Amino acid sequence: MIHPLTRRTFLRAAGTTAIGVAGAGALSGCGGGGDEATYAARPHPQAEAWRNRIGLAQGGDDPGRNVEAAITKLCGSDGAKTFVRQGDVVVIKPNIGWAQVPEMGATVDPAVVATVVRLCREAGAAAVKVFDNSVGTDAKCYKFSGIEDAARQAGADVFLCKRHRFRTVAFADPRCKRLKEWPIYEDVLTADVLVNVAVAKTHNLSYVTLCMKNLMGTQGGDRGKMHQEIHQNLADLNVTITPTFNVLDATRVMIEGGPSGGRKDQVVRAGTIVCGTSTTTIDCWAADPAHLPWPKGHHDLKAVEMIARGAEAGLGTADPAEIEVRA
Amino acid sequence: MAKRKNRRHLLHTLRIVSQLLFLGLFVGLLVATVLGSPLVRHPWVAQLFLITDPLILLGTALAGAFSAALLAALVVLGLSLLFPRAYCGWICPLGTSMDIVDKVLFRAMKRNRAAAPHLRKIKYGLLAAVLVMAVFGLGVFGWVDPICIATRSLAVVAYPIADWAAKTGLVAAEERGVGAAADLYDWASETGLFIRDANFKEGSPGIAYLWLFTFTAVLLGIWLSQAYQKRFWCRNLCPLGAMLGLVGSASPFRPRVSDACIACDACRRGCKMGAFQPAAGGERYRSLVQECILCYACEREFCPVDAIHIGAGSSGPVRPAPGVLPGRRAALTAVAAGAVIAPAMLLDRRTREKQETNPKLRPPGSLRPDTAFLAACVRCGECMRVCPTNALHPSGLENGVAGLWTPTFVFNIGYCEYYCAVSAEDVEAGRLTSTANLCGQVCPTGAIQPLTHPEKIDHKVGTAVFDHTRCLPWARGEECLTCEEQCPLPEKAISHRTEEVANLDWLAMPESKRNRFEDLEAKRAAGTLSDAQREELAAMPPRTRRLARPYVLRDRCIGCGTCENVCPLDGRSGIRVERLQTRTIQ
Repeated sequence: MIHPLTRRTFLRAAGTTAIGVAGAGALSGCGGGGDEATYAARPHPQAEAWRNRIGLAQGGDDPGRNVEAAITKLCGSDGAKTFVRQGDVVVIKPNIGWAQVPEMGATVDPAVVATVVRLCREAGAAAVKVFDNSVGTDAKCYKFSGIEDAARQAGADVFLCKRHRFRTVAFADPRCKRLKEWPIYEDVLTADVLVNVAVAKTHNLSYVTLCMKNLMGTQGGDRGKMHQEIHQNLADLNVTITPTFNVLDATRVMIEGGPSGGRKDQVVRAGTIVCGTSTTTIDCWAADPAHLPWPKGHHDLKAVEMIARGAEAGLGTADPAEIEVRA
Repeated sequence: MAKRKNRRHLLHTLRIVSQLLFLGLFVGLLVATVLGSPLVRHPWVAQLFLITDPLILLGTALAGAFSAALLAALVVLGLSLLFPRAYCGWICPLGTSMDIVDKVLFRAMKRNRAAAPHLRKIKYGLLAAVLVMAVFGLGVFGWVDPICIATRSLAVVAYPIADWAAKTGLVAAEERGVGAAADLYDWASETGLFIRDANFKEGSPGIAYLWLFTFTAVLLGIWLSQAYQKRFWCRNLCPLGAMLGLVGSASPFRPRVSDACIACDACRRGCKMGAFQPAAGGERYRSLVQECILCYACEREFCPVDAIHIGAGSSGPVRPAPGVLPGRRAALTAVAAGAVIAPAMLLDRRTREKQETNPKLRPPGSLRPDTAFLAACVRCGECMRVCPTNALHPSGLENGVAGLWTPTFVFNIGYCEYYCAVSAEDVEAGRLTSTANLCGQVCPTGAIQPLTHPEKIDHKVGTAVFDHTRCLPWARGEECLTCEEQCPLPEKAISHRTEEVANLDWLAMPESKRNRFEDLEAKRAAGTLSDAQREELAAMPPRTRRLARPYVLRDRCIGCGTCENVCPLDGRSGIRVERLQTRTIQ
């Protein structure tokens, strides 16, 4: 029996609906990144002193061993303990950007990631997280690269990005010339330590992609918009999101078809690991055609302008002669 | 609602259990049909409801697009020979959803169940019309098939909306610091309960499909038409119900009215399908086997003298009772309508193909030419559900009226994943013989064929073309190359060349300054530049600058749409995938 519509019934129904809608609106409306977030990871205690210094390990068949060796060469026997304290939450940001198997050299070698995870845990980290905001379909990138399994086995918490966990960060440093703000993934902003693990590849726009460019994996939003004047944009990014420590995986170097790759004959074995506190300095050393097997005539150091911009901002050096190599 | 006199019949209760089980199975299968799930390697299980749908079997067979998997529908046909519309009452997920909505919303409503008995004839006319259109090679019966409606409604409407609502709620709780909400969100994402957040890299969670609004309206229409009459769709419109009813016309299993009948009309007024009718002569009522869905309500609940019993016995007359089928004239009208509308649709399609600039980009593996695709596609929406990048959407009229709700790519939203169903192990072993396209794996009729990875590359969805009025390096002198960067081919289909282009900063100078620039340049060429003048010239922007500009290498492009998707322009991308050119223009 349909009840006749009385004034009371109508007001009751209308009132309930209004409260319900307002409640739902309030629940979903407020909150959600209204406050601005800041990057708070600790810089390396020796960042100033080691600004122009890198650790280097080359040769052999064991990328994991080279990682340990490079870190020891730079940091001394304390190794990762120089930048990881007991109880730290460590975020490792490897390049898991592309759905390619490790032989394609498009992503970091899984053994390298596993070793970095292990070293951080041994140094006393309370939690080690591994993630990347992949360029390709992220679930496939994580699987194809082998990093998901290797990092999990080493004891890291591996997760895919969730869309709502990007927070807008103001790029307020006066050294930032182009970028005003950008969404950065939450876990990067709450980390005590950020370890940036990059892979050495050519890039169709920036000639090479090394440590400086790898930080784009912390960004959300429409990253295609980074490509307009990419070199200055990357300098701004590196000024704002300065990793505690950096590792460059040059076990394989992709020398053609970068950064996405896809052919084994585009990859050259170089068996090299570089580490340091400065993305700019590492890139300066690694981009130099004298140091890694880049194709002849592909680029010279000057063409990789991001390095000069980074040096201008005081992040490192753009002069290979200034670099102290601990090998 | 007639007051229940006795306890519910056991089979009535069993029916409700069966309905819920099949609905649960239907929902579960769809949720589990997703990238990475083992279910997609057994597509017959994932497509279970669609390949057991006899209307799809008959329709595709008539349209010349028969596929062996559909023979599974013979099971349901066999079932219907004995228990005509038991499928409707015990299995059909759309029917179950209607019953649930009815219980929740309309239980207390007074409705005349016996109203408008002539409406039931429409479903037979509709069945005739869509089958005639199938003969013309159009799979449009998919618009009105209940399993297709249910699949579309779940995949395009209910699941995305529920997914969005759950995510929004959990996100709101998470923002307020409820840690358990974050954990629950992560768990639901990892187990695949949440739809994978496709490619927008910020903003509110959830995905959606084009035409979501219309599909919602259709679903709500079906559900809310019950405000007028319970199971309105099933009684009056469902062509599958019509078909199963006709198939079971000679069934020996039916409600039987015994001689105890006192012709009180309680059964006709009580049956939710209106499946009772006074027999000629007026002494006894009879049941209409083409309408009865074996819900078992009549056995206990209506008849004051318990004259109704559902059971086996002699088959009734094969010919449906009067008042069930449409009259001869109406039936011929339905057939004629189909025979006129179908060619009209085909002509419309051909005209659209010529005129329409928005190209029809079909999933990889789609039958070609498009007429073959239209014959086989039943517009079920499985491919749209499974596409991991949310790239496939129901199309509107751009593929002609006949193409309504068939899948098409929307590259601004998603792109065709290069290694879609291919696993890392396959790539590492160099063994690319497994099915590569998820859409082809789940398509129940083979409108989208399963392809291996090499076949998928060879198939070519379309060809990318730069829009020089939009693309940044071409139109605005700004650097980009995002499309080239992300072209997934090992030998990229986009390359670039560094060219000398007009410097917009120079063009922005007023004419007087530009003339000054030319004077200084001339002096420099002549070697007569003073130091002050050299400084002045150095401070001015150069006339040209060097800029990398992209080009498509047409022969390599497979039309995956990654370039169009990642182009940083808001609105139309600077590079778009267009239809393949025929013959020699590639």
